[in-house]
Formats: sequence, C-alpha cells, structure tokens
Amino acid sequence: MNRGTGGGAVAAGFSLLFFSFLFGPLIIMVITAFNSSSFPRITPWECFTTEWFAVLFANDRLMSGLLNSLVIAVSVVAIAVPIGLAGALALSELSSRLRAVLYTVLITPILIPGVVLGISTIVFWGALGRGVGAEYGSFFFDGMFLTLAGQVTFISAYAMLVFLARLQRFDPILTEAALDLGATPGQAFRKILLPFLGPAIGSATFLTFLASFENYNTTVFTILSGNTFTTALASKVRHGTDPSLSALAVIIIGVTLIGAIVHEAHTRRKEVLRTGIARRSRIYGNPVLKTLVHPLTVFLILAGIAGLATWQGTRHDASVCKQQVLDDKRARQQELLEEQRRKMQEQQKTTAPVSAPAGAAGKANPSPFGGAFSPNGLTPGREEPAPADAPAKANPSPFGGAFNPNGLKPSQ
Amino acid sequence: MPGGNPSGIHQAFPQSVQPFFESVMATKDIVLDHVSIRFGAYTAVDNAHLVIKGGEFFSFLGPSGCGKTTLLRCISGFSDPTEGRVLIGGQDMKGIGPNKRPTALIFQNLALFPLMSVSDNIAFPLEVRGVGRKDRRKRADELLEMIALPGVGDKKVHELSGGQRQRVAIARALAVEPDILLLDEPLSALDLKLRHHMRTELRTIQQQVGLTFIYITHDQGEALTMSDRVAVMNAGVIEQVDPPESIYNRPKTSFVASFVGESNAIEGKVASQAETLVSIETPLGRLQGQAAGGRQYKAGDDCILFIRPEQLSIGDGLPNAVTANWVKEEFEGNSRQLFLEANGVPLRLSRVNLGGTADTRSGAVVPVGFAPDQAIVLPHGVLAGA
Amino acid sequence: MQALQTAFKQIAGKHGLGAATFVGVAVLIWVIFLIALPQIAMLDYSFRFNLPASDVGGPQDVYTLDNYAYFFQGNDGTVNTLDIGILVRTLIAAVFVTCIDILLCYPIAFILAHSATGVAARMMVIGLIVPFWVNEILRAFAFRVLFGATGLINGVGMSIGLWDQPVDFIRADVALYSGLTYAYILLMVFPIFNAVEALDRNQIEAARDMGASWWRVHWRVVLPVAKSGIASGATMVFMLTAGALAAPQILGGPSSLWFTQLIYQWFNESANWQRGSAYAVILLIVCISFVMMLMRVFKVSIGEIGR
Ligand SMILES: Nc1ncnc2c1ncn2[C@@H]1O[C@H](COP(=O)(O)OP(=O)(O)O)[C@@H](O)[C@H]1O
Ligand SMILES: [Mg+2]
Repeated sequence: MNRGTGGGAVAAGFSLLFFSFLFGPLIIMVITAFNSSSFPRITPWECFTTEWFAVLFANDRLMSGLLNSLVIAVSVVAIAVPIGLAGALALSELSSRLRAVLYTVLITPILIPGVVLGISTIVFWGALGRGVGAEYGSFFFDGMFLTLAGQVTFISAYAMLVFLARLQRFDPILTEAALDLGATPGQAFRKILLPFLGPAIGSATFLTFLASFENYNTTVFTILSGNTFTTALASKVRHGTDPSLSALAVIIIGVTLIGAIVHEAHTRRKEVLRTGIARRSRIYGNPVLKTLVHPLTVFLILAGIAGLATWQGTRHDASVCKQQVLDDKRARQQELLEEQRRKMQEQQKTTAPVSAPAGAAGKANPSPFGGAFSPNGLTPGREEPAPADAPAKANPSPFGGAFNPNGLKPSQ
Repeated sequence: MPGGNPSGIHQAFPQSVQPFFESVMATKDIVLDHVSIRFGAYTAVDNAHLVIKGGEFFSFLGPSGCGKTTLLRCISGFSDPTEGRVLIGGQDMKGIGPNKRPTALIFQNLALFPLMSVSDNIAFPLEVRGVGRKDRRKRADELLEMIALPGVGDKKVHELSGGQRQRVAIARALAVEPDILLLDEPLSALDLKLRHHMRTELRTIQQQVGLTFIYITHDQGEALTMSDRVAVMNAGVIEQVDPPESIYNRPKTSFVASFVGESNAIEGKVASQAETLVSIETPLGRLQGQAAGGRQYKAGDDCILFIRPEQLSIGDGLPNAVTANWVKEEFEGNSRQLFLEANGVPLRLSRVNLGGTADTRSGAVVPVGFAPDQAIVLPHGVLAGA
Repeated sequence: MQALQTAFKQIAGKHGLGAATFVGVAVLIWVIFLIALPQIAMLDYSFRFNLPASDVGGPQDVYTLDNYAYFFQGNDGTVNTLDIGILVRTLIAAVFVTCIDILLCYPIAFILAHSATGVAARMMVIGLIVPFWVNEILRAFAFRVLFGATGLINGVGMSIGLWDQPVDFIRADVALYSGLTYAYILLMVFPIFNAVEALDRNQIEAARDMGASWWRVHWRVVLPVAKSGIASGATMVFMLTAGALAAPQILGGPSSLWFTQLIYQWFNESANWQRGSAYAVILLIVCISFVMMLMRVFKVSIGEIGR
C-alpha cells in the first residue's frame, strides 16, 4: 500500500472487507461440505464426514450433464475461438466508420440478456427446421446443437475482445517487414501474426471454455429437455439442496486453486526468464530450487499432496468416523430425536410463519445444543484443515477412484 | 531514359565514377518518373522525378512529414504512385508487391520479429523461400560474421543493444540479397555517440557489398557524411538533387539554403546585377552576393541573401559592412556563437574557439562584414522552420 | 458492399487469400446466422398466435399484437399491473445492484491500480479472478447457505443474541441482491481498473501536494478519468443483472419474481413460446433503450464497452 494515494489504512481495511465478501461465502460453503447435517450449514456442527462426495458422484443427472457440458464446451471452444479471431481481424482492417458499425453488431450478443439469446436461438432454428421440413429428431431440434449455436453467438464476442486487446499491441510494420523480406501474405500471417496471437489464443480458449461450461441463462432454454452440468445443478439447487453441492464446490475450488497456483508459478518463471534476472535470483540460480518452482513440479507437488491427503484422510476417516459413530451413538440418537422435533417445529413455522411458538423454538435451538456442539464444531483439528486441504479431501477414496466417476458407482 | 530529362542529374554525379556505373550497373537504376502520391486531396509527394544510379548511396533529406517515408514505401512496393511510374532496372514496378521487388527495407523502428531468435530473424527471408534449415543456419552465421556479431544467433532480439539490433536488421535485409537497400531513418532511435559510429559503419557496409542504398533522414549530418548524392525534400517537393558539397555550398532554393546548415537570411530587393554579382537593397543597406546557378534577376525582384555564420567576420573596412548590436554570446565548446542584431534583422556569427576569452561587449556596437562571393542570392521563397 | 469488398481485398493483400476468406466466411456466418436472423425470427414469432402444430402455416397463422397487448392489459383489458410491476421492479433492482457494484468496485480498482504494488497487487488480481472460476450456480448456492433460515448469519445472529428468531433474508431479497452484487463484480472492477490505470500517479500526488483532500482528488482528478470505465462496467452489470435468471431462481423470494423468470414461465410452464418471445423482446428493448439513454446522459459511446 502506498502513501498519499489512497490513505493506507483505509485502503487496506477496505480491501480486507472486499475480499472477505468475495471469499467468505465460498469458504463457508466449503466447510459445509464436511458437515453431516443434511442441510448445508456450519453452526449446528454435527459430524465431520465425507459422505457428501459420494452423494455427489452418485447423482446420475449431474454426471451425464457433466459429459454434455464437456462436449459442448469443447465444441464451443473449437468454433468460438476462430470466429472471435475472424471478428477481431475484420475489425482491425475496416475503415473507421464501418468498423464502428461492425463493432456494435458483434458486441451486442454480450449485452443481450442470455435468456433472449436462448429464446431467439431455439425459435430461429426451429422455424428454419420446419421451413426445410426437417424431422423432429434432426439437429434443428437437438438440444446440444442449439446450445452450441446459442453459446457461440456471444462467447465468440468474448474471444474477439481478447484478440482485439492483443491485436492492438501488434505492430503492423512486422507484417510489412515480412512481406518486404519475401514472404507471401499467407506466410506472414502464419509465421508472424499467428505466433504473436499465441498467448491470446490460449487465454481465449480458457475463457470460452469456462464461459460455455458455466453458462446457464442461454443454455437452460437451448438444451430443451436435456441437461448440462449447470442446468442440472440449478434444478437441483432449486428443488432442495444438500451439502453434496458444497462437496462439488470443494472440488471446483480445489482444482481452481491448483490451477491458479500453477499458473502463477508459470508467469513468475516466464517473467524471471524474460527479464534475465534468473542468474542473479537466489531461487532461479539454484538448480534444485529452480526445478522446484517449475510450474510442472509445482503441479505435481500439489497433485501429490492432494492425492496423499486424500489417501490419508480416507484411512483416517474410516476409523475415526466409525469410532465417532460408536462414541456419539447415544448423543446422536438424542440429537436425532430433538432434531426431528425441531424440524417439525420448523416446518410448522414455515407453513405458518406468524405462529408465535416458532420464536420460542428458535430461541431454544442454540442453547441446548450450544454446549454440546461447541466442542465438536470448534475442534480446530477437524474443522480447520477442511478448506486448506480442500483439493485433497475432494476425493476420499471410499468414494473414489477419485477422478473416475464410474469407479464410484458400486459404492452407492 | 523513359520520360523526362535526367541529364542534369547525370552532370551532378561525380565525373570519375560515372562511366563505371553507366556500363556495369545501368540495369539496376531506379527511376522515379514524375511520381506523385496523394492521400485524398493531400499531396504527400509531388512530381518526384529523378534517377538513382545502381551502387549509389543516395539520401532523401527533409524535415519530418515532408513525404520521405511515403516515397520510400512507394519504391519498396507497399503502395503504388497515384501518378507516374517507378522503374527498377528498366522495369515498371506497378502491381508488383513488396515481396517480389529486388528491394529490402529497413524500417524506422527496425521491425525485428520479437518472438524469433536473432538467427531466425536473419534467416526469415530464406525460410519463406523454402531454404532448408541447415543452409539457413549457415547463411545466418555468415551474415552475423559480416556484421561483426558472431555467436549471438541464439539470443532473443530484446537481449541485444540498440546498435546490435541495428546491425541485425541490416543483416536480415541483406539475407534476401537485394539489389537495393532502403533505409528509413534507421539511426533515429540510437543515442548520439552510436549514431555517429553507425554512420561510418553503414557507409563501410555499403562499400563492402556494393549495393544501392537509398537512405532517408531528417538529419543533415547523416545525409551529408554518408551520401554520394542527396535529394532535399520539402512538403512533398524535391527541391534539389546534388552531391553533399554542392548542397551545402551551392543551394538552389531558399529552402535548401536555410535547411542545410546554419544561415543568416537577409531579405531584400534586387537593385542591379553585373555578371553573377547581384546588388540588393536590404534593411541593412545595400549588400552584394553571388547569383546562384548564374540566374539573371530583374531590378525590383524579391530575393534573399544567405550568408553562413562562419563567413561573417568582425572588423572595420570589410566589404558589405554592416553595423550590428551585440545581443549575446553562446559558448559551444569548439566554437563561439555571437548573436547580433542590425535594424531588426537577427544575425549570427560563428568563430572557432582558439582558447581566448569571451567577448563581453554587451550592448556595444560591432562592425561586421563578408565577402560578396561567399554570400548567395536566391529568389524569395519558403525558409526551413518558418 | 463496396466497403466490404475493399476490406476483403485489404485483408487478402495483407494476410493472404486464405485468411481473408476465413475472416469473411466466419464473420458472415456469425453476423447473419447467429446474431441477426435469430433476433428477427424471435421478433416475428412474438407477433404470432400460440397455435397447435397442425395449424402452423394454416389460415389461422396470422400476425397479431395479442402477446404485447397481454403484457400491458392482461386478459381482461385492465392494466396488467402484475407483469408491468415485475418489469419495473427488475429494472429498479438492477439499477440498485449496479450502483452498489460501482461503490464497491471503484475503490478496489483504484487501490489495485495505484496503491497496491508487486506481490500485493498480484494477489489481489488472483483473488479477484479465482472466485469467478466457480460456477455461477454454486456462487448463488453459497449465498443461500449464508442467508438461509438455518444459515450461518441466522445461526450466528441468534447465538450471540442479536435477534431471536430466524430472519427471512430470502423473502426480504437481501440474499438475492447480495448474490447479484457478487455475481458481476469482476465485470465492474476491470473496466474501471483499465481506465484508472491510465492515470499518471504523479497527477494524484501533485494534487495531494497542492493540499487537496483525498475525496477532492478523486472527484476532480480520478473520477473524470474513471468515467468511461464506470460507464462500461455499469452497462455490462446492468444488462447482466436485468437479464439474470439463475440468481433470482435460486435466491429470489417466493413472492417476488424477476422479469426473466416470467419469460421462463411462458416457455417452460405455459408452453407459450410466442408470448415468451414477446416478453423477451420487451425485455431486450427496455434494457437497451435504458442503457442508451444512460449512455447519452453520461456521454459515452458503445465503442467503449468491452475495452
Ligand atoms: N496513409 C496515409 N493517409 C493519409 N496521410 C498520410 C498517410 N501516410 C502519410 N500521410 C501524410 O503524408 C505526409 C508525409 O508523411 P511521411 O512520408 O511519413 O513523412 P516523413 O517525411 O516524416 O517520413 C504526412 O503529412 C502524413 O500525415
Ligand atoms: Mg518517416
């Protein structure tokens, strides 16, 4: 933080609050994945468990949606990235008036509400299909194709923005130099411009993949009766939630963090190598440390830690959980009884929210369990590692040949 | 010669070398045949008409924005002239792209490919011509040897110093084995010392490889030291084409006289002319100078008399005596610049520093004068920087 | 057409015929089949009756204003306060969320651009991006976990005695607004960051040096520069919020619908695509005119969006 520009302490405090807002909900969600309570929550902490991962992998709808999502995302990348590149190239060559018009046209898909895009896509292809007398089973009425069309419409514009930003930094003189040195225009394009755009192709691929995988607003219309991962997720959230979604969040956040750390290692390495301070740097000057901070090593280490922690956690888990079940059996039964009662009261409360006793029940809630749960819930040894080891615990082995969803089926 | 009359240009070429070029290099001549280049209504190059001989080091000198780059891009094939023709070796270049012309351009910012190694940069012209990897590498090494940078082939471009990049750009251009090397202010990004050094180096390389160099600059020092001939441009018009000495000593227009080197410009009207000696009526009284190029003036013509600062002297009883007021003196190391003023006309006088002390005649009156045969009288016209 | 031809030739001359053909074909397909025709088809559809498949193309298949009339008048000819109310509420809520995002993101963008350095800045950028790699649905779900009747806030609030019965944050739309505010933060931070970054730090320091208070520095020096970024970010956030579907479905209270949910119902529950299309057209037109109006007021052009 710097003096004079923003007021150091205020800036730091605000940043802290801001990032708590960003990460707080995610961290809480991650923690709920390990609570055995059937509703995702922290405060009445019941029992440390990994069973929600099993529930997650056993959800067929989600898993088949995942496959659809991957197929769609890969296809969207394959189409939207070239289209975005074409759009960016066209914009960079047009005269300024035409350029403004085309830019407006190509950028509108980003601004049009996704819902509208989805609707217009199914309406248009449906009408076209009927117009050419296509069968009902043909691609005009196929959810996968329609989703592809709908998503490409606006995701191409994301890719285009990435390419435009990169193209702005391209010196067109380089192309001229290549031509002057005897290259054909095609050669200049392939050997000079495309390599320059390389990093942008990478980030556009990543961005379009993520945008496609995450998309809900358009997809929920275009997928018709089918499911993608996101639409399956949404319908699950809408019709009753359980912590298996938190378990999913644990996996996604874990993968994301590993990705972010590896990416960071990669950029640092590149920067150090580029600026040529490698030889002077203590880390990069030392061959052992140098290998250690290589992105691949970082990845392997993180993946290894994740795997090891999973394996350990599992072994540990099985015994501990059993032990716990035995130890807490009595307490648990009582707890279940009380919970049932409370649930009934809660139900009453929701059906008749004005009813007075609800207040009493609500009040009663924390006090009797408060004592019982606080040692449990606050046991740091159990709870704290949860977020830190998130990627590791994402795949506890009883439920997991981990990354192989098929391997999980028998356990259900 | 197609179109026009380039004989004047031939005369201006050093007599001793001329026959040699005519016989050996004639096929590599570049002819600008009444070339005009317009952007909409704006004329960037106006009726350029000249012949550049094969093997010559030819410079275009002019202030920034006068159309030099535009003309060079036209020669290298990035644009076609709006009017007129560009001929190389007698062949009209119209419609022939930059990759098909026997020219290689060195760009103002060098345009080295940042993602390629030095070797790959130099070998790029060979790569696009389908030369195999091994031969490319060999040729790149040869060229690196030639520009005295052996062993840097595997470095990235950004790891080189400014001067080294400069030489790599030249090597890359030479890898095509062009007949003509076009250079667009290639030294402008370098610091002063390196710039001076590279002048000599460029000239050496040119003599070594024997190619035609067409060199563009706004720096008269570069143009005058390296070139066989210089074309001075202003606002799209080529004002004079001559060897450096003639450009400096015998400017043909008021622009050239004021742009190349320092000059005192004194405006006036012609009073009379005897042979080449012209008398003119000026605010400083009646002064005499040489009519440039044997031009004949009528009494009453508007004209300007140019006299170089180093040709003004202090003293009584000199020809063209003028009484001036002392304004200030600047010390420039090897010389002292005296700034004077006479009847509203600023005058500048330069004296070689021989170790004496500064004059401190603040406010004093200084008698100055100059020899009539060292002053040049030109018709009234635009001045550089005006 | 002439201009397009020139552009094509120019690209061919610079990048080769193959590249030019690729650019031309890709852009044409994109503009015609993915952008223009679907919107036109939807517009056409919104003027048609909801007929059984056998009647489509028959004599009854004529144009009608029915679907739009319904939005304004309902079935009985009185003003359709319900649907109009939902649209107005959606717009107001979207404006509200956009304003909150501006207030949250402007300081962060400024800190990121001018106060944070080195590692801190890098960590901030990563910290900004990483949460948005998590699925949109899961992010909304996280807010449900946070704000639910048995969620963390209620749990903590009640256990420390701030209130003694669960507050229904969902019904009060607190959860929805928080979730929407969260959802598009990234799209607000980076445009403002890009704009503010261009500002020379010396300018700020000079202003401070001359004794200006820090809020005056922002008002007079930083804000004018940030304006285009704010406009760009606000446009995106507003359009996305007004067009959001997932967050309202997951976090919205049972009694308050989002306009997109209305459209969703026409499609998926009433199977009336024509009316759904009409509602989609209404949403599109209202949102775009609203944004255009604001852009005129704040004097920014669409060309600045997405920079
Ligand atoms: N493509 C173009 N379109 C319009 N005007 C141009 C173009 N290229 C150059 N000009 C104008 O032509 C004039 C000469 O430019 P240039 O040849 O680059 O000058 P310089 O002598 O500095 O190299 C300038 O005034 C410039 O603005
Ligand atoms: Mg130039």
